[in-house]
Amino acid sequence: MNLGNLFNNYGEAVAMILFGIGFSNLLLQKNLIKKIIGLNIMDTAMYLFLALKGFIGGRKAPIVTDGVQSVEAYINPIPSGLVLTGIVVSVSVTALMLSLTIRLYRRYHTLDLDEISTRLRKEGL
Amino acid sequence: MAFVQNFPFMSIILSLFSGPLCSILSGRKAKWVNAAVIVIIGGMSAAVLGFVLGTGQEYVYTMGHFPAPWGNEIRVGVLEAVMAVFFCVIMLLCMLGGIREREEEIEDTKQNLYYIMVNLLLSSLLALIYTNDLFTAYVFVEINTISACGLIMIRQNGRTLVAATRYMIMSLLGSGLLLLGICFLYDLTGHLLMSNIREQVALIHANGSYHIPLLVAVGLMSVGIAIKSALYPFHSWLPDAYGYSTLSSASILSSLVSKGYIFLLVKIFYRVIGFDIVRDSKVINVLFVFGIVGMIMGSVSAIKESNIRRMISYSSIAQIGYIYMGFGLGTTAGIVASIYHIVSHAATKALLFVAASGITEVSGDSTDFFDLTGAGYRNKLSGIAFTVGSLSMVGIPVFSGFISKLLFAQAGVGVENTAKMLPTLIALAISTVLNAVYFMKTVIRLYTPEKKAVLEKKEFKQVKMTEEPAKSFALICFIVLNLFLGLSSEPIIRLIENGLNMFA
Amino acid sequence: MDWLILLPIFLPSLAGIVLLASSFYEHIKYGQTDEKKRKSVHLFSGAVLAVSAAAALWIAWRGTGSVTLFYLMEDIPVFFQVDALGSVFASFMSIVWVLVAVYSFVYMEHEGNEKRFFGVYLLVYGVLIALDFAGNLVTLYLFYELMTLTSMPMVLHNGSKASIMAALKYLFYSMCGAYLGLFGIFFLYKYCGTLSFVAGGSLDSVLAAGNEGILLAAVFAMLIGFGAKAGMFPLHAWLPAAHPVAPSPASAVLSGIIVKAGVLAVIRVVYYTVGADFLRGTWVQAVWMALTLLTVFMGSLLAFREPVFKKRLAYSTVSQISYILFGLSLLTPVAVTGALLHTVFHAFIKCALFLTAGIFIFQCGKSRVEELEGIGKRMPGTLWCYTFASLALIGIPPASGFISKWYLAQGALKAGVGIFGWLGPVVLLISALLTAGYLLPVTMKGFFPGHGEAVSAEKQEAKPGMLLPLAVLAAAAVLLGVFPNPLIQYVSRIAEALM
Repeated sequence: MNLGNLFNNYGEAVAMILFGIGFSNLLLQKNLIKKIIGLNIMDTAMYLFLALKGFIGGRKAPIVTDGVQSVEAYINPIPSGLVLTGIVVSVSVTALMLSLTIRLYRRYHTLDLDEISTRLRKEGL
Repeated sequence: MAFVQNFPFMSIILSLFSGPLCSILSGRKAKWVNAAVIVIIGGMSAAVLGFVLGTGQEYVYTMGHFPAPWGNEIRVGVLEAVMAVFFCVIMLLCMLGGIREREEEIEDTKQNLYYIMVNLLLSSLLALIYTNDLFTAYVFVEINTISACGLIMIRQNGRTLVAATRYMIMSLLGSGLLLLGICFLYDLTGHLLMSNIREQVALIHANGSYHIPLLVAVGLMSVGIAIKSALYPFHSWLPDAYGYSTLSSASILSSLVSKGYIFLLVKIFYRVIGFDIVRDSKVINVLFVFGIVGMIMGSVSAIKESNIRRMISYSSIAQIGYIYMGFGLGTTAGIVASIYHIVSHAATKALLFVAASGITEVSGDSTDFFDLTGAGYRNKLSGIAFTVGSLSMVGIPVFSGFISKLLFAQAGVGVENTAKMLPTLIALAISTVLNAVYFMKTVIRLYTPEKKAVLEKKEFKQVKMTEEPAKSFALICFIVLNLFLGLSSEPIIRLIENGLNMFA
Repeated sequence: MDWLILLPIFLPSLAGIVLLASSFYEHIKYGQTDEKKRKSVHLFSGAVLAVSAAAALWIAWRGTGSVTLFYLMEDIPVFFQVDALGSVFASFMSIVWVLVAVYSFVYMEHEGNEKRFFGVYLLVYGVLIALDFAGNLVTLYLFYELMTLTSMPMVLHNGSKASIMAALKYLFYSMCGAYLGLFGIFFLYKYCGTLSFVAGGSLDSVLAAGNEGILLAAVFAMLIGFGAKAGMFPLHAWLPAAHPVAPSPASAVLSGIIVKAGVLAVIRVVYYTVGADFLRGTWVQAVWMALTLLTVFMGSLLAFREPVFKKRLAYSTVSQISYILFGLSLLTPVAVTGALLHTVFHAFIKCALFLTAGIFIFQCGKSRVEELEGIGKRMPGTLWCYTFASLALIGIPPASGFISKWYLAQGALKAGVGIFGWLGPVVLLISALLTAGYLLPVTMKGFFPGHGEAVSAEKQEAKPGMLLPLAVLAAAAVLLGVFPNPLIQYVSRIAEALM
């Protein structure tokens, strides 16, 4: 193992660390809102990773500017497209999660999923 | 290009757009639109199947006339077409079987919303089946998750809300891992189309470079999908989600949604990575172990459960375990067995859910095991259907479950690695016996006559076949399907093998 | 004419399903079955059974023919083939089945729900005949499972909690066993090339070379598995649980006939698929012999200590079936002859004993051994039949049990199996003494009750409809021992052909 690689590719390393943070928050947090924050951190880490993959040093974003048509002038557009799609997905999922959270909070006045479960079990529903 | 070749794309688009259409219709009309869409898509998929069988080879459909590797593609072979037809049939029967429950359990103003979800679900399932692009697959995996979540929580009670939340959380974890795996593969190969990735992966593997990243990518995608399809121990959301949602949701979720993900995993194994490379990696061993543990633990939980709907749900966990065990064997025979089990379990589990609802209906809507005494006499058809489903789950000859157990055992014997052979057979044996315990216990309970005094006190109603024609029709179709799968499995196994050959 | 094979299989099955459906229908309509129509139910099932049994016997004694039903998978057909062994089994099963049916016509009034009982009874008969004539292992397995399922309702006939638990136990053991059997079938399929039965075995020695270890393990699993139905240790515990709760005719056929299906399956595996030569001298044979002898001894001992009459008889079955399995495990023609003879004799004897137990329950409601004191004064005919059957089971010459045990002992001594050669006969002898010890006290106390017992001398003989089948079975048990030659010749020809 060459630790130097880790520092050369520090962007990817950061993305992975962020992914880990987001993943463990989504999995382990009790509070639903914090879970959703974790979800967003996880997704953002993915976008960072993808963006890094498409980035080529010294080039511009893949939008034709000043009539320059040469491929050499722009970065790889596909990862940017993927990031855009990913953002759409992530937004809709976050919205759904938030609406669920609101529903649950109105019914049970808590954001702790386990507590709701135990309460349900006690009610015998 | 023959006109039929457009059908896969058209069916995805048709169901995708019929979703929004349903939002402006009334519940009744939306129901008809939905049924019509499923029937039409079923017919189109059957035509595609006929076409592919006729030409004897797969074809690739380029979207928007961008050639590979830039454009998006649909790829159709025998296996895809078979799955599409089968999913349509099962979905139609599930929707038919659950009409009464839907009308009772869902608020009137939300009836049409249900059909939006079903249409979206169908389109995402079809897209998962047909697509040749990994990132498209990811997007539709998310659509699938969202619409499945809608199906769970449309029946508003605390349990379903919690179940839907848990389901979303687990699914998001799974799709996060899946997306990470896809990004890794993209990083390694520079492609998103499955066939292009496959070529590059073969090159990389031959070079011997990037061994670990490849392994990590395969592992991430497998685990991601395993989480999404409720492989033990990621199943905590499942019993509540299946047990308390409305009937057609439960049967569709158990028989189709998880199966769609699993089918995607088969595609990833065969068409993205290449099965030889997957076999050499250690990932399938992990799947094997969790599959076997799931087979046993699912059944054990089912034995302890006294709520019949939840019992059937736990049995799903065991059956998912079977499928992953088949993957874990790492042979083509194992995959064939798993795919056959996808088909047979989808047919059987939906049957059980619908039959269980018929049984609880005549037991004062109680799902408690002890209230079901003698229910087989009060609702004849459901009783018989439940018995058929149970026998099939236990693996009695003549029913479809027997054939899948036969295939699993044959695959197990065929495996060269003895360390896998014996656990497979032993786990099959234990799980068969455990299945027998809880399913036969229920069947006996259904046919134990209830005491007269109790009957008079509780005023259980009786249901005749003609009272709910849609449900009766669905049940009869399910029974026939089950017997068909059990008695003439040969053509279907042939189709699956044929389709897998096209994959490779 | 080969299609006639299907008649005794499908006619009773269909008739049984008709009866079950009708009982089901009445249950829904009236909440219970219509007990007034019992005469017509009897007439119907009697007629169906008579026709089917006649057809089965005719086929069995004609001795040839085969029918392929359908293909389960590409090269695995479900087909029936008549051979000598299947004929023997089908013959004695048919005879006993008809006799017990006659008995049930009277007896089942006491249990109620007759339509359901006879429906199941007919169904099981059809499945059993199919099992006898099964042409390959998969067909055998298929009907073996079906037999478990169809015979289960017999055990849970009265619907009590105990009977449900017993039925589940029965199911549990049988499924375990059948699965072990299925597990072996896959292996054999890999190494035999065919699963059809061939006298002497069809193991392909080229394919098997180098894989003997795993094959032996598979065969052993099959022995344990199919042995479960035959009540062999370690999967024997369902027998004593299932018998006391089942109606007496059902226990009679469970004990006399259905456990024989396990024996048939073992013979089919060992002598018709793997071949005796493959097993001779291996650890499988040694362990198998040890297990059977252990079961013989343990079964007798448990029977000796058991106070409930039907349970005592059930333990006795455990022990006696292992006599048969011991004979089979010796792998010599003489021992196999003995085993087959004992199979036939035991069917008659054990059914007779269970029918006696049923009469005691039916007439006086007595199910424990100590309650039976002085019973001989009240129903001497029944007790005499019991006594003859007991003597036959113990093996007192000239009754039938003596012949089969003689062959078994001879076979053991000549088999060249080392220590088992003399250990076997010794265990058989001890077990015979124990058999006398647990069967005869009923006779003695029955005819000569102890002092001070207020014996009601009032005669209360069993109804003729019950006594007649019992007498026929008991007479058969004795007479087959007096005139055994045709049977011995027929059976030994089968045994010779297997080696």
